Amino acid sequence: MQTSVEIAGGKVQSPSLLLSNRARLRQRIAAVLGNGFLLAVTSFSMLAVLFIFIFIARDALPFFQHNGLREFFTSTHWYPSAGEPEFGALAMFFGSAIVTFGAILVAVPLGIAAAVCLSDVIPFALRQFVKPIIEMLAAIPSVAYGFFALVVFAPLLQQQGGHLLAVAVWIIGLPSAVLVIIVLSDVAGDRLSDRFQSWARWGIIIILGSGALFGLMVIGKSLSALRIASGTNAFNVSIILGIMALPTIVSVSEDALQSVGRELREGSYALGATRAETIVKIVLPAARSGILAAVILGVMRAIGETMVVWMASGNASQIPQPWYNMLDPVRTLTATIAGDMGEADQVTGSSRYHVLFAMAFCLLVFSFVCNLVSERFIRRSRQKAGG
Amino acid sequence: MNLKTRKILDRAFAGSGVFSILLMTAALVVILVPMLIRGWGAIYFTATVEHRHLMLERFDRGNPERVADELNSTRETRAPLYRMITEFEKQLETSDSESRKRYTTPLRELKKAIHDLLGPAPGAIRPMLMRDQYGQMRWGRALVKLRNVLYREEWDYSDPTRGGIKALKPRAAEFTGTPVEPLCAYLENNLTDMMLPRRTLYWQFLTDNSYDSHFFGGIWPEILGTFYLAVGAMLFAIPLGLIAAIYLTEYARETRLIGMLRTCISTLAGVPSIVFGLFGLAFFINTLKVSSSKSVLAGSLTLALMILPTLIRASEEAIRAVPHTYKEAALSLGAGRWHTVMSVILPAALPGILTGIVISMGRAAGETAPIIFTAAVSVGKPLALWQVFSQPTPALSWNIYNLATEHEAVDEIRHVQYGMVLVLVSLVLILNLAAIILRARVSKRLKG
Repeated sequence: MQTSVEIAGGKVQSPSLLLSNRARLRQRIAAVLGNGFLLAVTSFSMLAVLFIFIFIARDALPFFQHNGLREFFTSTHWYPSAGEPEFGALAMFFGSAIVTFGAILVAVPLGIAAAVCLSDVIPFALRQFVKPIIEMLAAIPSVAYGFFALVVFAPLLQQQGGHLLAVAVWIIGLPSAVLVIIVLSDVAGDRLSDRFQSWARWGIIIILGSGALFGLMVIGKSLSALRIASGTNAFNVSIILGIMALPTIVSVSEDALQSVGRELREGSYALGATRAETIVKIVLPAARSGILAAVILGVMRAIGETMVVWMASGNASQIPQPWYNMLDPVRTLTATIAGDMGEADQVTGSSRYHVLFAMAFCLLVFSFVCNLVSERFIRRSRQKAGG
Repeated sequence: MNLKTRKILDRAFAGSGVFSILLMTAALVVILVPMLIRGWGAIYFTATVEHRHLMLERFDRGNPERVADELNSTRETRAPLYRMITEFEKQLETSDSESRKRYTTPLRELKKAIHDLLGPAPGAIRPMLMRDQYGQMRWGRALVKLRNVLYREEWDYSDPTRGGIKALKPRAAEFTGTPVEPLCAYLENNLTDMMLPRRTLYWQFLTDNSYDSHFFGGIWPEILGTFYLAVGAMLFAIPLGLIAAIYLTEYARETRLIGMLRTCISTLAGVPSIVFGLFGLAFFINTLKVSSSKSVLAGSLTLALMILPTLIRASEEAIRAVPHTYKEAALSLGAGRWHTVMSVILPAALPGILTGIVISMGRAAGETAPIIFTAAVSVGKPLALWQVFSQPTPALSWNIYNLATEHEAVDEIRHVQYGMVLVLVSLVLILNLAAIILRARVSKRLKG
């Protein structure tokens, strides 16, 4: 503002370019008005957030007034259309939680590994090809993921689920077992005197190796024999939601890793650390808050997702037996809102209608809190990088 | 630890990163490939004579004489089937009640199975439902139906610990010693002549209306509905998003109010999509009453709210990416701030802003949850432009869900579902690809 006014106004010598007082006043008023208009338009999003809270809460309140909090949060009896309706949503809360937990279990290790790889391992030219892949994963509509989960993945799980799980366990288990054995043999070898070292090392490798192989075989066998009653279950949804949350986690944590300065890395290298040690011991701790923010954003993406869970979670409002059994169908808050509104819409104003708003309100509050926390984390990581 | 182990660990660490990236790529391929291949199958497939019959009757397409010739020739090859059945029925009328009782149900089931495969018998009354008026359009489905004619499914529930076990019983064995006995063999051997399968490119799948709850025809109403919703959402979101981005980058000082605004924008980005749907229902429809019930307008408004934060962020980034020198040059030439923004910064940021617009448009087109309560219906005619203010519309995203889960014959119309997924996914991916290319060109230009 300052520069333009000065140049347009006073300091120019040619008299024809001087503005009269009135013109200058007019200009200033126009500037203030324009500024106000822009601010008004910009605060539209603030208004939208406010209205969302107000209107969801307005329709959620009657439910809490009428039915109280206790049944909603502690009971698993969900019979909204019975003669004496029961609105226990605990099973839905549990369903949302377990599905999100599963998704995070899939997405966080993969996402952080991919982010590290993108920022520190692969060359820049290759990165240009990987980024579009991540963007495409993020762009595929959720209903297409849901369709895949329901039509392709669920039958596959139902028919070949056990074998798939066994293969997955081998793929993950074998390399990690090899690594653990190498490290253990090394560490144990160091403690002994030179004479026994190689003997001890080979002994450990053979004993642990055969033990690990045996363990993997037993687990693989028992998993292969596993029969999955229904392909639409929490496991299916967790995998798909994990894939959907990956792009968010990768891009946010990659940003966090990038914002850790070169100096830290170079200092660590100069002390003789390998790349892995540098990243695990120096870079990741420095980028901790940014990565936490990434995880929180991933959680938000998974818990707010509707179509995939609606199509492929089985929609059974129950807590699985035992509770950690991911192969049972579950039902989530989002899927309940989407599925029950069709019927509840006819009787606007009934408890059946308001209970869905109550669920939405819980989701809203949760995502709001998550958002505040992740924002704080992101800000902190920026400050660290800047300072 | 000695150096060797540390090196191995380092390699393994890098390997796990590469592995996860490969896994992501594999996930993308595994998800996309079946959709692309089977979706393409909705457009390019082996069509039977029934398909050409339908095209001629309902859409006036194809050569009438040739189709009539084909119908005649298939009628001739089909005739022995129906002759066998009528002969057997006559025989049954004169036979004792014992054998009548024995054969009535199997014969009815057989006739039903044949009807499912070939359509109504010649001379029969034309059924009411369109799906009963024609035989199988697609050779793949015809083969499935053929198996239903040849074999009867039997489910064995004797073992309660497991689910039912399916067994296939050949139908021919039920009719040993009757005139119908050779029917199955005849059908199996001559099905090609009865159906005249031929590879067909049915590109009108994209532009045809659907008939009889998506059993026949194309997906034009859905494509049009998605288009209306996405474009409508952009119409509302672009002005708001652009102005907000300009204000936040060029005018706003970092006061507490602006900090709150930014928090609100990121909160808006984090609101679950289904909550947007409920809000659209409670606010736009029940409170503002922009339309009496669901409408494209209400859906567009809801979608616009949802993509607003994405749009603001993308435009902000694009504007920030414009080099400071541009702005300084404009200001030093005596341009006012608004003038600078409009004539220098926006044109320079335009490709970046376009990238954001294109990506958000893809997102608006693909979202389902916000339009469930505000805009989407499962069956409908394509809307005229003036109807968008009051009428709900079918949309690709909603109908993929609807046809895959709530349709009465999910398996019969798999090809339609895959076709819709193909169209939606390629629409979104093409938009994103355009954005990626745009951005690559922009970054090159801003660098050079």
